[in-house]
Amino acid sequence: MDLEKVFHMKGGRGETSYSENSSLQKRAADKVNHITLEAIKEMFLESKPMSLCIADLGCSSGPNSLSNIKELVNAIERESSKLFERAPEFRVYLNDLPTNDFNTIFQALPDLYRELKKGRNHGSPSIYIAGYPGTFYGRLFPDKCLHFIYSSNSLHWLSRVPPGIYNEQGDSTNRKSIYISENSPPQVAQAYFEQFKQDFSLFLQSRSDEVVVGGRMVLILLGRNGPNYVDRGTAFLWEILYRSLAILVSKGEVEEEKLDSYEVHFYAPSKEELEDEIRKEGSFKLDRFEMFEIEKDTGNSSTSYGKAVAMTVRSIQESMISHHFGEAILDNLFEEYGRLVDEEMAKEDIRSISFVLVLQKS
Amino acid sequence: MHLQRKIISVATSIIEKAVEECLEKNFLDSMGIADLGCSSGPNSLMVISDIIDTVYATSNRKGIPLPELRVSLNDLPGNDFNNIFISLPEFYSQLKMEKNIGPEGCFISGVPGSFYGRLFPKKSLHFIHSSSSLHWLSQVPRLLDSNILKPLNKGNIYISKTSPGSVLDAYLSQFKRDFSVFLKSRSEEMVVDGHMVLSFMGRVSTDPSSEESCMQWELLAQALMSMALEGLIEEEKIDSFNAPYYAPSAQEVRSVVEEEGSFTINCLEAFEIEWDGGAPSNNNFQKHIDKIEKDNFSRGQQVAKTIRAVVESMLEVHFGRKIIDELFKRYAQVVGDYFSRTSAKNIDLVISLTKKG
Repeated sequence: MDLEKVFHMKGGRGETSYSENSSLQKRAADKVNHITLEAIKEMFLESKPMSLCIADLGCSSGPNSLSNIKELVNAIERESSKLFERAPEFRVYLNDLPTNDFNTIFQALPDLYRELKKGRNHGSPSIYIAGYPGTFYGRLFPDKCLHFIYSSNSLHWLSRVPPGIYNEQGDSTNRKSIYISENSPPQVAQAYFEQFKQDFSLFLQSRSDEVVVGGRMVLILLGRNGPNYVDRGTAFLWEILYRSLAILVSKGEVEEEKLDSYEVHFYAPSKEELEDEIRKEGSFKLDRFEMFEIEKDTGNSSTSYGKAVAMTVRSIQESMISHHFGEAILDNLFEEYGRLVDEEMAKEDIRSISFVLVLQKS
Repeated sequence: MHLQRKIISVATSIIEKAVEECLEKNFLDSMGIADLGCSSGPNSLMVISDIIDTVYATSNRKGIPLPELRVSLNDLPGNDFNNIFISLPEFYSQLKMEKNIGPEGCFISGVPGSFYGRLFPKKSLHFIHSSSSLHWLSQVPRLLDSNILKPLNKGNIYISKTSPGSVLDAYLSQFKRDFSVFLKSRSEEMVVDGHMVLSFMGRVSTDPSSEESCMQWELLAQALMSMALEGLIEEEKIDSFNAPYYAPSAQEVRSVVEEEGSFTINCLEAFEIEWDGGAPSNNNFQKHIDKIEKDNFSRGQQVAKTIRAVVESMLEVHFGRKIIDELFKRYAQVVGDYFSRTSAKNIDLVISLTKKG
C-alpha cells in the first residue's frame, strides 16, 4: 500500500475533521511557542534576509498552521520595527502529503491576509504563500532556499510500516499489537527503530540541501522518555486502540485477521535516538532540546477527556483505519476508545511526552 | 473540458516558440514557470507537461543542462487544488521515467490568490501561461454593481444589442483597469526577457455587442427569460445580474499593453473555435464527417455542460440552486437550436509578450 496515496488527516471542517479536533496539537505548539519565536528571531537578527523563506512541514488542514504563520510574521515585524527597518518579504511554503486537504487551508487565506492587514498603518506585509505537496522524506524545495523550517506533530509518522515486521510469507509478526507493546516480539521494536533511523536521516539530509547556513529548524514531535517502549505514554494510547479493535472483534464487527494485520506507521523516538541521527548526519547543530507534557484540559467539562482524545485520534487515524477496516466501524470503535481512555485515566494518568528541538544548519 | 483543451492546444505552437525564445535569451540555472487560472482536472497538468517538454527538448538541442524547474499553479482560493495535488505523485514518476528528472529537478506548488494583484516575489518568473481565465473580470463592472435599484442593463446578463452605451463603457473600463493591474503585477514578478503567453475569449469585431462575443450569454438570458415568463424566476433577478466577464477586441488588448508599457507584443492572433470545442478543420472530408456525426441537439448539450461547469456557482448565488437544472436544460435546447441556424463560433485571442528591459 502506497502510504502517500492513503494517509491524511481528516479534511474539511466537519465534526470529525482534523480542523475541529486539533486543539491538543495547538496546545502543544503553544506551550513551546516562546522557543519557536526565539529561534526565528535569532536567525533573523543574525542574517537579516530581505526575503525570508519559511516552510511548515506537515501543515495539515486545520487552523493551527496559519495561526502559527501569523505569529511568526508578527514576531519578525516587531523585530524589524524595533530596528526602524522595513520588514522582509515573507515566502511561506506549506507542505504536506498530496492527499492532504489543502483546499481548506487555502480557503482560509483571504481571511489571513485581511487579519495581517488590520491595524497596520504602514501597509500589510509582503507575503507569498504556496502549497507544496509531497513527502518530506526526500527533497521538497530548491537548494539553499529556506531560512526557517517548522514541523509540528509530523515527524513521528514514518514513511511506511516497517517492512521488518513482516515475515517471509508477508504476514505480520506483530499480531497482538498495532504498535510496539509488551506483546510484540523483540524484532518488531528493532524494525520500527530501523525505519525511524532511515526516515529521519533522509529527512535531515534533504533539509540540509534546502536550508541556508545559519538557518533554523524547530521540530515538535511525540517521543518517549528513556529506552523502554512500553510506557504509559503514547505507546499506551496505541495499546488502547488495539484493545478497542479487539472488542469489536469479540462482537463480530471486525475480522480477527484484519486486526492481526493492522500496524501503524508511527514511532516515538527517545532523546538519544534523535541526537544520534543528528550527530551522524552532521549538517545540523542541536541548539536546544526540551521535553514536555501537555496537561489535561480541565476547562471543557461537557466532553469527557476520553472522548476528546478519541476525536483527536480519530481525525488522525481515520484514513488508515477506513482503508484497512472500512468506514462502518468508526463510530463504534471510537466510542469504545473514549470509554477505555477514561477508564485508564481513572486508574492512573496517561502522559504523552513531546519533544521540541531547535537545530541550526552549520 | 474538451473546449478548454482545444483552446490550450491551439496556442501550443505559440507557447513552444515563446519557451524556446525564453531559453535562448536567458542562461538559466533555475526557471520560474507559472500557470495562472490553472483550474482543476486533467487540463491543469497538461499545460505544465507541455511546457516542461519544450524546456527539456530545447535544452537537449542546445546541449545545455536542464534548469531547475520551479512550477507554480495559481487559481482563486476556492479552486479545487486537492484534485490537482493528488495527481502529482504520478506526474513526478512520469517525469523521472521519461526524462530522468528527479525530485531535486522540478518543484510544483499551488499558489492560491487572485491574479489581479501580486502573487509571486519580485523577479522570480521566467515564463507565464494563462488560458481561459483573463476574460473573467475581478468583479462585475462597478457602475452595474452599484445600481441595483435602477438596473441599467434590463433583460440582459451581459453586453447585448439592447444594452445602453453606459453599460458598454462600464465593461470596457473594468477590463482596462483589471488587465492593467494584471500586467503591472506580472511585470514586477518577471525577469527581463521573460515570456508570457495569454489566451482568452475575445472578438474580432470593433462592436462589443457582436454575436461572436455575446451570443452565449444572450442565449443564457433567453433561457432565463423563458423561465421568468412562466413565473419560475423573478424578472428583477435577471435585470440585476451582470456577468463579470469581458471579451475584448485585439485592439483593446493591444492598447492596454502599450499603455502599461512593460511588455512588447511578439504576436497577437485570433482563432475561431466552435462552441463545443471542435475547431473548423482545414480538411473538407473531415468537415463532412464532423457535421454528420454531431447532431445539433447533442452539441447543445455539450455546450450547456461546459458553460454550466464554469458559471454554475455564480448563478446559484444570484438565482438560487433550485432553478439551475431546469435553466441548463432550456439552455441546451436554445443552443442546439442556434446550431441549426448558424455555425456557432467564439474567438480565442492568443497573445505572446516579452518583458522589456
